[in-house]
Amino acid sequence: MIGRAVLALATLALSAAVAAPWRWTLPTGVSPPPVPAGNPMSAVKVALGRRLFYDADLSIDGTMSCASCHEQKRAFADGNPTRPGVHGDAGRRNVPGLANVAWLPSLTWADARVTTLEDQASIPILGLTPVEMGMHGGEREITHRLSRDACYRRHFRAAFPERRGRIDMTSVAMALASFQRSMVSFDAPADRNTLSPQGDAGRALFARACASCHAGPNFTDGSFHAILPLSSEDRGLAEVTGESGDEGRFRTPSLRNVAVTGPWFHDGAAPTLSDAVVRHGTSLTDAERDQVLGYLEALTDNAFIANPAFAYPDDGCSTP
Amino acid sequence: MFNALFAAMLMQATAAAHTTCPAIAPPPAELSGWTSPRPLAAGRTATRATELTPGAAVAARLPSTRDVRYVVRPEKPGGSVSHGGLFTFTVTAPGRYRVALGSGAWIDVLANGKPATSVAHGHGPDCTGIRKMVDFDLGAGRYILQVAGNGSANLPLMVAKLPA
Repeated sequence: MIGRAVLALATLALSAAVAAPWRWTLPTGVSPPPVPAGNPMSAVKVALGRRLFYDADLSIDGTMSCASCHEQKRAFADGNPTRPGVHGDAGRRNVPGLANVAWLPSLTWADARVTTLEDQASIPILGLTPVEMGMHGGEREITHRLSRDACYRRHFRAAFPERRGRIDMTSVAMALASFQRSMVSFDAPADRNTLSPQGDAGRALFARACASCHAGPNFTDGSFHAILPLSSEDRGLAEVTGESGDEGRFRTPSLRNVAVTGPWFHDGAAPTLSDAVVRHGTSLTDAERDQVLGYLEALTDNAFIANPAFAYPDDGCSTP
Repeated sequence: MFNALFAAMLMQATAAAHTTCPAIAPPPAELSGWTSPRPLAAGRTATRATELTPGAAVAARLPSTRDVRYVVRPEKPGGSVSHGGLFTFTVTAPGRYRVALGSGAWIDVLANGKPATSVAHGHGPDCTGIRKMVDFDLGAGRYILQVAGNGSANLPLMVAKLPA
């Protein structure tokens, strides 16, 4: 009896959450990111996506969740050059951080066709090059696993009333995308203009030497550039376009929280941030490079890294 | 002498690591017991945690994660289709202890219900079947070892004291 009452209250809470519009918390001058018309933001969808993000049942043997590689303490990067998949396949490219990922015009290191987080979700979960979470051909298994959890059934019903709470890879990707869009980071010392003298000097140098590509509020022009020597092991953008001019071109990464998202570059080959700067071939002196590094350190948003709204959810089944 | 249980464990571990091994390599001296594991079923709760003896390897049989009640929620607990379990071991001689695993499962060593902080971690030597090693500085006492998010119900496992 008590159990039924609790369930009824939980259902009411979920229903109320559906009606709650999503409210972006953004600094003055920052517009909300683009959101696909077919997947509007809602608090309950974000909560569902957060739960899924940390759920290793999205991998074939239950050992790997999105959060296995995207660790909050590293601004949702990984800390390794690359990361092997569930079957031990070697990882190919470095795990990027996720701060402000909603504003990025394309996703992944070298595929301009992937422009929504909904599309991107299937790459690690279902992809084969390389195998990461190993669920290729296992979409029904995802439905099976999630559907046997009463909490998930309630969450999906609340988050996707227009889909009648359908639990499938489409809904999973939509919820994951919503959660990742909520990962907003605009509270670094550089945002608050609380830079050290070294960081302040570094900002001017950065504007001169780096900002032509690392441009805008997320420090990326969204374009693809060849910075490192070409390698036959990873041809970058050319792998999807077939154009020789795209050999070795990779997307300019965002520099939000860059000091904690190493190792750096698409293959994680730069073990230190200083090494990463050097590999760009800039003409900075050692002293100037230290100043730029001071500025890059000031792009770390500690409130984002510690934000409980992005952390592993409690075991309970509550939603906003 | 490598026993049959160890050979099966090694095949599983090397397959998971995509390592090509022309021959089985001996483990480091401090883990010499690794090649002679005895079967052991993991516990599902702290009160039913099964006993490990430092220096002796086990071929652990792990229950489903759904059936395990961890003392502290693991940082990476694994999905419902994964496996985990609880063990206990006693330290009589304080020092640095190594937990060696045949997989990349998450582990916690708990003292009085709180996770001990690891001091080092890394991969095991190639072709030994040791996939992961985590070191802890431990005082005398009784500890709980939580294993979480293992992809298989089988896990080669060992706790060993390292030379001072």
